[in-house]
Amino acid sequence: MSRDVMIDLQQVSKFYRGQKAPVVENMSMTIQQGEIIVLVGPSGCGKTTTMKMINRLIEPSSGRILIDGTDVTALDGNDLRRQIGYVIQQVGLFPHMSVATNVGLVPRMLGWDRKRIEARADELLHLVGLEPAIYRNRLPRQLSGGQQQRVGVARALAADPPVMLMDEPFGATDPMTRDRLQNEFLRLQEQLRKTIVFVTHDFDEAIKMGTRIAVLGDRSKIRQFDTPENLLANPADSTVAQFIGRGARLKQLDLRRVDAITWEDVPLIAPDKATNGAKRQLEQAEGSSALTVDADNRPLRWVNAHDLTTDAGALAGAGQTVTTVEPQATLRDALDAMLASRDGAAVVVDEHGRYAGTVTLDGLMQVIHHTPEPEEPGAGVPDQRAGAAPAAELTPEQR
Amino acid sequence: MSSATQIRAEETVLTPPSRWHGLLRRHATMPAILAVVLLGTYLWVNATDLDDIEQRALKTSELLRAVGEHVTLTALTTVLVVAIAGGGGILLTRPSMRWLAPFATGLANIGQATPAIGLLVLLSIYLGIGFSTTLICLVAYSVLPVLQNTIVGINQVDRHLIEAGRGIGMSPLAVLLRIELPLAVPVILAGVRTALVLAVGVATLATFISAGGLGSLIVTGIKLQRETVLVTGAVLTATLALTLDWLGGVISDLLRPRGLD
Repeated sequence: MSRDVMIDLQQVSKFYRGQKAPVVENMSMTIQQGEIIVLVGPSGCGKTTTMKMINRLIEPSSGRILIDGTDVTALDGNDLRRQIGYVIQQVGLFPHMSVATNVGLVPRMLGWDRKRIEARADELLHLVGLEPAIYRNRLPRQLSGGQQQRVGVARALAADPPVMLMDEPFGATDPMTRDRLQNEFLRLQEQLRKTIVFVTHDFDEAIKMGTRIAVLGDRSKIRQFDTPENLLANPADSTVAQFIGRGARLKQLDLRRVDAITWEDVPLIAPDKATNGAKRQLEQAEGSSALTVDADNRPLRWVNAHDLTTDAGALAGAGQTVTTVEPQATLRDALDAMLASRDGAAVVVDEHGRYAGTVTLDGLMQVIHHTPEPEEPGAGVPDQRAGAAPAAELTPEQR
Repeated sequence: MSSATQIRAEETVLTPPSRWHGLLRRHATMPAILAVVLLGTYLWVNATDLDDIEQRALKTSELLRAVGEHVTLTALTTVLVVAIAGGGGILLTRPSMRWLAPFATGLANIGQATPAIGLLVLLSIYLGIGFSTTLICLVAYSVLPVLQNTIVGINQVDRHLIEAGRGIGMSPLAVLLRIELPLAVPVILAGVRTALVLAVGVATLATFISAGGLGSLIVTGIKLQRETVLVTGAVLTATLALTLDWLGGVISDLLRPRGLD
């Protein structure tokens, strides 16, 4: 076994007495250290059961589960769970205990002394963005839903477990809070490099959070287990494609960043250049626009030859406004910027706002068409949903 | 994850109002009313010309003995009921025993639904008259509210809290002691209060199988047609019941876990 393997499920099954079909059947999966593995699938597919078998809240009926090389079925369940972070959708903060007590529960069970528990609780509250001096003595009901879930995450991290299990952790929050919590968590994960098993039924959340995504069918059967990019580009079968839903191409735009595509160059017009010189420059570069920039090379306006003839005076007020994106922005942001600009191009700027290049709709189209076409799922079966939607069709749920 | 605006908005730290202040406001009325009633009864009896029988029945030592017996019966009943019904309720909410709960409450229901005097007489036929028979009757009579409230109180604890507790590695016993019981305390204590008041009332019947208590004053008053004796017995019984209920209320307020509304 490779050194980097953190969790290894081997032929794991779960039967309940009195039920013919197993809830989870012969599930095998290898998870590397530092990955966020998202288990995604329809309700009742056994994804939560699979997750709970890893910390043995549910005992597997057969198979082996190795964490860092140790078979967990041989360990004491309570000891095991103290070494695995656990976050649930309902947060589950104990209402009669202060925030600090909640966070310190696992260290306390591990026998840390009081000073160390208090220091750790403060450190974690700080880490999740809650000022310890203000929040440590609060009761859970004195916090907003988003704050409660931050405390929930802090509690799960308390004993610095290498593995975390998260069961729809952001599912109960409103869309804005959810988005913020997801971003914060991803940033946190960059520092912490935990191995995380994350359960959700929201495919968009899966794409956003997952290093790899396992799309599960009935009885936790793995239909496809791959990176978000590959999953979107090559759904293994019609069920997976259906689960991805419409607009797979649009979703791909979320995964790629501006710095991953080729930028184009446009003529720049420096501020000190005379109008006439600028005009000549534009006429040489036939039919296109140029960008006026300031002394620091920051983009100002789009101008074309026509702008310069009508406005014989100053260069400053001529032309169209510029929309900019940073190299780290997603292609969706870039598309948004392009659509906002009349010329269908967005200017890429560095962190100081200086011109770095431009991206255009044409360039974007090329990227999308270079990714392999998703196969038409369920050919011959009249299934409207499964058909890949044209990229331009932006339905409300994808926005 | 720091977000400065959020912290600023929440900077006004909430300080809960003093616990004692609220306690005083909520619980001061009942002792005052009881004191007035007791004083009124005392003055009335004092102003009445008492005959031999009345004087003997209302002697201070006699009254203290009756109250003492009554309190002893009630207190022992409470201890036994909390032990039996509280313990039973906890057992009946464990996953392995849960299926037994309907049978147990059914049984406890029989104890309570049987008229108390009938239960007392029936028990005395088999167990003889006296203190312990009365105690058994009182316990049988008061088990139901505590048993039922313990079961309900524990079952109403959010299942996700229990899952969260188990999920972070608490043992089932730790979950019971640190989560389920503390959160069930208000409901359980409400049951104990009901049981206490019931026990005080039913303990007046103890006199029929010569186990003493305030019932003897009432019965003497009725049989010998002495109104002062009857009223004194009734007032003392009612005062005792209300005092214990009040005490239960205070204790329940003190033990109520913070963080619940």
